[in-house]
Amino acid sequence: MSTTTSLYFHFPFCTRKCNYCAFYSVPWASEAQKDAYLDALKTQALSFGETRPVPSVYFGGGTPTNFGVSRLTDLLCFVREHFSLTPDVEITLEANPADVSPADLQTLRNAGFNRLSIGMQSSDDALLKSLGRRHTFADTRATVEAAREAGFQNLSLDLLFALPGQTLPGLETSVRDALSLCPEHISAYSLQLEEGTAFYQTRETLSFPTEDEEEAQYDALCSLLANAGYRHYEISSFAKEGFRSRHNLRYWDRGDYLGIGAAAHSFWNGKRFSNVPDLKAYLASPLTANDYKKAERIDETEAWEETVMLGLRTDEGIPASLVSSEHISRLVSLGLLAQKGDHVALTERGWRVSNAVIGQLLL
Amino acid sequence: MYDIKKIRNFSIIAHIDHGKSTLADRLLEYTGAVASRDVEEQLLDNMELERERGITIKARAVRFAYKADDGETYELNLIDTPGHVDFGYEVSRSLTACEGAVLIVDATQGVQAQTLANAYMAVDNDLEILPVINKIDLPSADTEMAKHEIEDIIGIPAMDAPCISAKMGINIKDVLERIVTDVPAPKGDPEKPLQALIFDSYYDSYKGVVVYIRVMEGKLSVGDTVRMMHTGAEFEVVEAGTLNAFSLDKRETLYAGEVGYFTASIKSIGDTTVGDTVTLRDAPCAEPLPGFKKVQPMVFSGIYPADGSKYGDLKEALEKLQLNDASLVFEPETSVALGFGFRCGFLGLLHMEIIDERLEREFNLDLITTAPSVIYELVLNDGTVLHVDNPSNYPDPTLIKEARQPMVKASVITPTEYVGPVMQFCLDRRGIYLDMKYLDTTRAELLYEMPLNEIVYDFFDTLKSKTKGYASLDYEPIGYRKSDLVKLDILLNGEMIDALSFIVFSDRAYARARKIVEKLRDNIPRQLFELPVQAAIGGKVIARETVKAMRKDVLAKCYGGDITRKKKLLEKQKEGKKRMRSFGSVQVPSEAFMAVLKMDDDQ
Repeated sequence: MSTTTSLYFHFPFCTRKCNYCAFYSVPWASEAQKDAYLDALKTQALSFGETRPVPSVYFGGGTPTNFGVSRLTDLLCFVREHFSLTPDVEITLEANPADVSPADLQTLRNAGFNRLSIGMQSSDDALLKSLGRRHTFADTRATVEAAREAGFQNLSLDLLFALPGQTLPGLETSVRDALSLCPEHISAYSLQLEEGTAFYQTRETLSFPTEDEEEAQYDALCSLLANAGYRHYEISSFAKEGFRSRHNLRYWDRGDYLGIGAAAHSFWNGKRFSNVPDLKAYLASPLTANDYKKAERIDETEAWEETVMLGLRTDEGIPASLVSSEHISRLVSLGLLAQKGDHVALTERGWRVSNAVIGQLLL
Repeated sequence: MYDIKKIRNFSIIAHIDHGKSTLADRLLEYTGAVASRDVEEQLLDNMELERERGITIKARAVRFAYKADDGETYELNLIDTPGHVDFGYEVSRSLTACEGAVLIVDATQGVQAQTLANAYMAVDNDLEILPVINKIDLPSADTEMAKHEIEDIIGIPAMDAPCISAKMGINIKDVLERIVTDVPAPKGDPEKPLQALIFDSYYDSYKGVVVYIRVMEGKLSVGDTVRMMHTGAEFEVVEAGTLNAFSLDKRETLYAGEVGYFTASIKSIGDTTVGDTVTLRDAPCAEPLPGFKKVQPMVFSGIYPADGSKYGDLKEALEKLQLNDASLVFEPETSVALGFGFRCGFLGLLHMEIIDERLEREFNLDLITTAPSVIYELVLNDGTVLHVDNPSNYPDPTLIKEARQPMVKASVITPTEYVGPVMQFCLDRRGIYLDMKYLDTTRAELLYEMPLNEIVYDFFDTLKSKTKGYASLDYEPIGYRKSDLVKLDILLNGEMIDALSFIVFSDRAYARARKIVEKLRDNIPRQLFELPVQAAIGGKVIARETVKAMRKDVLAKCYGGDITRKKKLLEKQKEGKKRMRSFGSVQVPSEAFMAVLKMDDDQ
């Protein structure tokens, strides 16, 4: 059992849904609804009676910055008051470059947010438009500069690759432009075509990169970031020394976290559960609009499966003793797995096919 | 009241779908043997599958009374016959039990291949043939054409044949009257030693095997000790009787000329072979009835559960089917690729399909069935003769002096406009042209000598598709001929996949090899490494494809600690694993084997 608990707050508000996004969000909410949501978050946060130290807090979405800076700071003050944050606590806010002014950033920094995850996605404005993003690369640059000005020393940029219409030179330019902003951390996701997205509806008309092109983009991304001194420490995450996302690592290390807000997921005291992805239902009863009662304690086999499949997302990997040595030697010989002392971890190639590799290790 | 002069034993024979079962129902309904509300549709075909396919697989018999115009009441025994070429022997035994046969010809289609085959069989059995023209209610019916065809092609008078609609119940009585007046009463003397023909049997879990017989001479009574003359098995008769539409009607004694059943606590259907002669142990007849043949399976294939853990279920299901189908043979077989399964022998391709489908449907099994094989005859250099029905047992080619394959004489009847395509198709299938007859101005019969393995390889379906469904097929085995055969092996990652090996005519090997490796390439999911797929003859690779290595299989995003998708994926992988065959480090889902073994490559 963890000696600590992390907190995740979910903000399912977006001005508009991005064309590739399948996560739960509502396009418009009234000020009154947002106020009510703030209350609901507080109510649920208190309901767990959690007293263990909190090493990380994450405000994610949706678009948290759409929730209003004053509500965000209000909530963070509330968290500081009712939870025992560790002295080195990491407090991340996801920020849309279109939403935050320099003054906002100063307010947020002053309130205690110490890490921003900025949804840059690309430096190609035409591409950003096609994704349905509301900002340009200039907005990202301005946000980064203002954040530095406000005193943020830990910035992460989100990038997307394998996008419809994206070329290898285009991706390389985006990566270089991102590097020019000197973020401490970069998250890079290849586009996954999800049902229920605008891209899915129009997929016939979109030109997705071929498998070869996608692989070339991934390789270019990895080597550009490696050369710039970023460590590829998790499937989709790259960090400078000392700037790994502590909050995200909790997910892979199977540390406890409470997910608060509509659609938020928790892993807490041996159980996994989630709140309903339904704003109204959540507002109506923030304490019961979840499947906590149905959740069963993760048993030993499931815990082992989780340890392997989540642990292999990181460069630390898992203790080699958890899986059969026969599998290990075969996967090592295929260049998909690497021995690291008494641990084994996926290689860059292994990460690319991690579902299949994990499947073989667990079955 | 036994009066041999009042007995009429007859069959109904017809090409598939010409209305055999419907007429049988109408006869029973007309004579009051069943109430019309009981005729739920084709009483005699009481297997669901038969009904669906409109074919009778197992013979059945039924007795009913008919008061004829001459004022007398007759005892009619209708003996149904299986309606497909695979069951030719069973048909011939059923016919032997009769004195007459009602030959139905569909007024819209005329004489077809199985009409001919069945009619010839009836002639060979010295039966009185009563032609009946059916489906006169249809707008396209041409009764005169049908009658002329019967006279011209089969050579029996048909001008005064009853013209009926079994479906609408029109002129059914004409058929009954004709049976009474034209079918001879059976001959036979109840005082002679017992001589009875087994024409069918089925397994009943309470009574044991119920044996259907036609008493030729003598009589059979409860308490008699009977002997099966060919198998030598002896049993004491526990129950005897006649066969009603819905029940068995118990009687103490069955006399010469009658059709009925007996039970004798017989545990295995193998002891009551169709065609065997039943006699009394203490007063045997001089010799058995002629025409007995041990039925030999002609087509073989391996049947494996798609989910390897279902082996026990498959075994149980096969055993249950065999209780009522002595022509189904099987023995355990192990394949490196497919695990534990059974090598099964069938009378023909239809028989195989029926068994396969019944296993899947009635026993809820999901199966992989390997390519059907025939029995090849191999003469080795040292002079020994080997019969091989499983490609895995095919010897090293250098040891073989001569390879022979079973041949059939195939008759295809087709509308004349398709003669060209059919001839080309038969030629493609290595047919040797024997003869062509114009049956009338619109249809022709083509005769070919053809390798049986071409027939079992999707011949009938392709023939149908090439003739818009109009062509009909019949065939009979005519022995072995020398042929240039090779065994083709399939290798994945350099390892031979035994279940995919097959024996093929050498000129055909390359084309088949290409198709199979291409199909495998398209159906095997990408592995973690590049996977060569090869086809080889005796170690020499003749075709190769590559399944590319998997390049991407990752859930990049697990947002906000939501790992449910990863877990669902793992569950899916676990489900898939059950249907996965692993050899070495290669994993192939059962579906890939099924896709490759499905032989639709002529489309």
